[in-house]
Amino acid sequence: MRSNGGKVRKLNTVKKEVQFFDYSLLFVVLFLVGFGLIMVYSASSYDASTSKSFNYDAAYFLKKQARAALMGGVGMIVMAFIPYGFWERFAIAGYLISMVLIVLVLTPLGIEANGARRWLNLGISVQPAEIAKLAMILFLASMICKMGRQIGTGRGFLTTLAIPVPICVMVWWITNNLSSAIIIFGIAVLMLFVASPKYKVFFILGGLLVTGVLLGVLFLKGMDPSQLEGADFRSARIMAWLNPEDYASDTAFQTLQSLYAIGSGGLFGKGIGQSMQKLGYLPEVQNDMIFAMICEELGIFGGICVILLFVLLIWRCMVIASNASDLFGALLVVGVLGHIAIQVILNIAVVTNTIPNTGISLPFISYGGSSIMFLMVEMGLVLSVGRGIRLRDHG
Amino acid sequence: MSTAILLLLIVGLIIRITYFMVYQSEYYSKKAVELHQRERSIKAKRGRILDRNGVVLADNITVCTVSVIHSQIKDPKTVIRVLSEELQLSTEFIKKRVEKVSSIEKIKSNISKQVGDRIREYELEGVKVDEDYKRYYPYGELASKVLGFTGGDNQGIIGLEVKYDEQLQGEPGVILTFTDAKGVEIKNKEEERKEPVAGNDLVTTLDYNIQSYATQIAKQVMETKQATRVSILVMDPGSGEILTMVDVPEFDLNSPFQVPDSLVFTNEEEKQKLLNGIWRNGCINDTYEPGSIFKIITAAAALEEGIVSPSHRFFCPGYIMVEDRRIRCHKYGGHGSVDFTEGIQGSCNPVFISLGLQLGIDKYYEYFQKFKLTEKTGIDLPGEAGTIMHKKENMGPVELATVAFGQSFQITPIQMAATAAALINGGNKVTPHLALKSLQQEGQDAKNYAFAVTKQLVSEETSATLRQLLEKVVDGGTGSNGYVEGYRIGGKTATSQTLPRNSGNYIASFLGFWPAENPKILALAIVHNPKGVYYGGQVAAPIVRQLFENILPYLEGM
Repeated sequence: MRSNGGKVRKLNTVKKEVQFFDYSLLFVVLFLVGFGLIMVYSASSYDASTSKSFNYDAAYFLKKQARAALMGGVGMIVMAFIPYGFWERFAIAGYLISMVLIVLVLTPLGIEANGARRWLNLGISVQPAEIAKLAMILFLASMICKMGRQIGTGRGFLTTLAIPVPICVMVWWITNNLSSAIIIFGIAVLMLFVASPKYKVFFILGGLLVTGVLLGVLFLKGMDPSQLEGADFRSARIMAWLNPEDYASDTAFQTLQSLYAIGSGGLFGKGIGQSMQKLGYLPEVQNDMIFAMICEELGIFGGICVILLFVLLIWRCMVIASNASDLFGALLVVGVLGHIAIQVILNIAVVTNTIPNTGISLPFISYGGSSIMFLMVEMGLVLSVGRGIRLRDHG
Repeated sequence: MSTAILLLLIVGLIIRITYFMVYQSEYYSKKAVELHQRERSIKAKRGRILDRNGVVLADNITVCTVSVIHSQIKDPKTVIRVLSEELQLSTEFIKKRVEKVSSIEKIKSNISKQVGDRIREYELEGVKVDEDYKRYYPYGELASKVLGFTGGDNQGIIGLEVKYDEQLQGEPGVILTFTDAKGVEIKNKEEERKEPVAGNDLVTTLDYNIQSYATQIAKQVMETKQATRVSILVMDPGSGEILTMVDVPEFDLNSPFQVPDSLVFTNEEEKQKLLNGIWRNGCINDTYEPGSIFKIITAAAALEEGIVSPSHRFFCPGYIMVEDRRIRCHKYGGHGSVDFTEGIQGSCNPVFISLGLQLGIDKYYEYFQKFKLTEKTGIDLPGEAGTIMHKKENMGPVELATVAFGQSFQITPIQMAATAAALINGGNKVTPHLALKSLQQEGQDAKNYAFAVTKQLVSEETSATLRQLLEKVVDGGTGSNGYVEGYRIGGKTATSQTLPRNSGNYIASFLGFWPAENPKILALAIVHNPKGVYYGGQVAAPIVRQLFENILPYLEGM
């Protein structure tokens, strides 16, 4: 800004401040959404064009996704130009409304698809869990701000951790969606981690968690497979994760198909549109498994580029968070950042069989109207926080 | 701090991806290809069967199979309309198949290439026309029991088709195609092919002209004599090559599973039984009592032993006593005093019975075995029947006497012809056979077939004497109806009563050869259960004469 010369300086002396807008973040988001649309089309066109339930329309999924992305885009711009402080007054209301919406899934308004009742028919179909994520970010940001120094106390710490629990339990039990519950809780933990000065507690808790998981895995590994018969589907998933090729025909089918897709991609992939695994072999290819297909079509090169785009996105969020004009804004950005980071990491971990299979979509890219709409609205919030940054002229 | 953790996790995932996409890439790529590829075999073109002059007796034609792929059909109405019009099937039949949710549904196979091409021109999505080879026999019934036919899987079922199946079959090729998870082939995806290797052509010893003429005569005789079956064998006695093998009624090779309307069956098992009967080749699969033609064998043994000569004298009172049995000669009142030549000319039973008795059981049985009558001829057709003969220890003079003039035991017609051929060709027993050579499709590397020969069953002299005697049978003897003007023909007639003896059914037969002094061609005609006159000399000898009259000029020219 120093080189901007006299005119700017003159302007600055008048207004003292310059409006900031994070175009690079906007660009990354739009790029990811555009790329996502192409990949959704590539992933779904064969299935859609050969299936009667999609009217043999190759662009069936693309059209639906594009419509949601367009609405999300409008939402993002609107959000970006509304000062984020405006939303603080809706924090409690948002928390309660998201709870009500989850319960509404049980009413005739609920839509069942793929064997799970997760959607609401509100003119367009919406996943309450996606609304809950946004509401949780807003509510926690507002809460932590109000707590002020109390966040450092044990009571403040526990309160913050307790806040998401009711929502998480509802998402898990009512909509049978453990992955969203984990994400919501993860967002809360991340926000608390950033706000709380108590790093030590986190490391102790984190260490305990990791040890517990490792012990559990070792326990399952040592067990005779016959003892697992009749075990619930989550432990079966864990067994399948440990030995995918032994469960190739049922539980590990999707995981193994995902590995076939990733493994057959090689350095530069088979070329866009050339995936074989998308031809009915890899279930949910346009959805949770889209990253596997990206690897198959675009190779390790394409896969890493996608990861780097997310890194870029997260980095821009961090920059905005650390320069935000107030704590509320910073916490909002941290929440959104956490939401995206957790989903990206878990999604890629699942498709590479790094963790047991659980349905988590890849932000901006996976097919899913609610997901892309609310993610873009969240990005609008981040842009709005970015606009609040006051650039002081030091010249 | 949180940045560091995030970065750590992301770097970890990048390493994980790199592990799969670089180090494990080969393994998973291979697995994936195995998953995506389907193997489809391509039928090899089956080798043709040719006659000795190159006339194609068994050929291949291209036929098409029409199927529909449910998931690819865009316009079911048009598909149903076009297919029902072109294939002349009811719309309901096609509709049911078009609407069935399956990866591929066969509508009709074995349709002509023309119709297949027409359907292709509509360019209907979801309709598949596959080409295939089908066996085709240009002459339908001709030599049906010899050639045999194939099943749907390109495998021979009877006849030469099964005997030479391996080299006719060739090697099927393979197409490796990529398919989606439902098994539907992906268009525009390069496919790997292993081309099929066509089977080798089989050149047979059959002669189309003689075979068709003999079939014609056999049919005629069967009709005029209301016989149940007529067999005609024509072979080269010197090499064993079979030029003709007719066994009417024959069947249409292009629809071998069709049972004539006159035969009724109630279940599949019965149908199969009937079909097996229809496909049976009487020349090799069945045995019969050879009757007087077998006197050739007794004569050869006696001549070889030196107990008889053409001028040797006998007396026939019309019967002969063997132990306590009185065996009658066919000529009422007997032949009186005759020499051996006259005895064979008149086919006198007492003459041959006394020769048999003179030889004795041991010697006679020795010759029977030496002439390889107890073994199969080894003809290159499946299912050759063996000889049904008394056990030596059960043979008494009565049994010996009846065997000496060709009764009380059974051999196959091919065995009769092959043994007679050996005794008149100079004494060498050749294996009757049909395979001449095998030709690769390009016409190179012909493989000639060789068959076993057993030398000198009898001496050249015995053979020569026998030829002279048999020429006399045609020239003024019982076989005079086999005489062809201008040609020296040898032969022997036979009339045998079928079992049970009082049934009134007979088998009339005649064996003739030409030229009498150095036989190049031998024919055996057997008529089963002729109505009216049933003597071999009256019923069978004219068949051979008629055949010879027509084929000898043709054979002379070759």
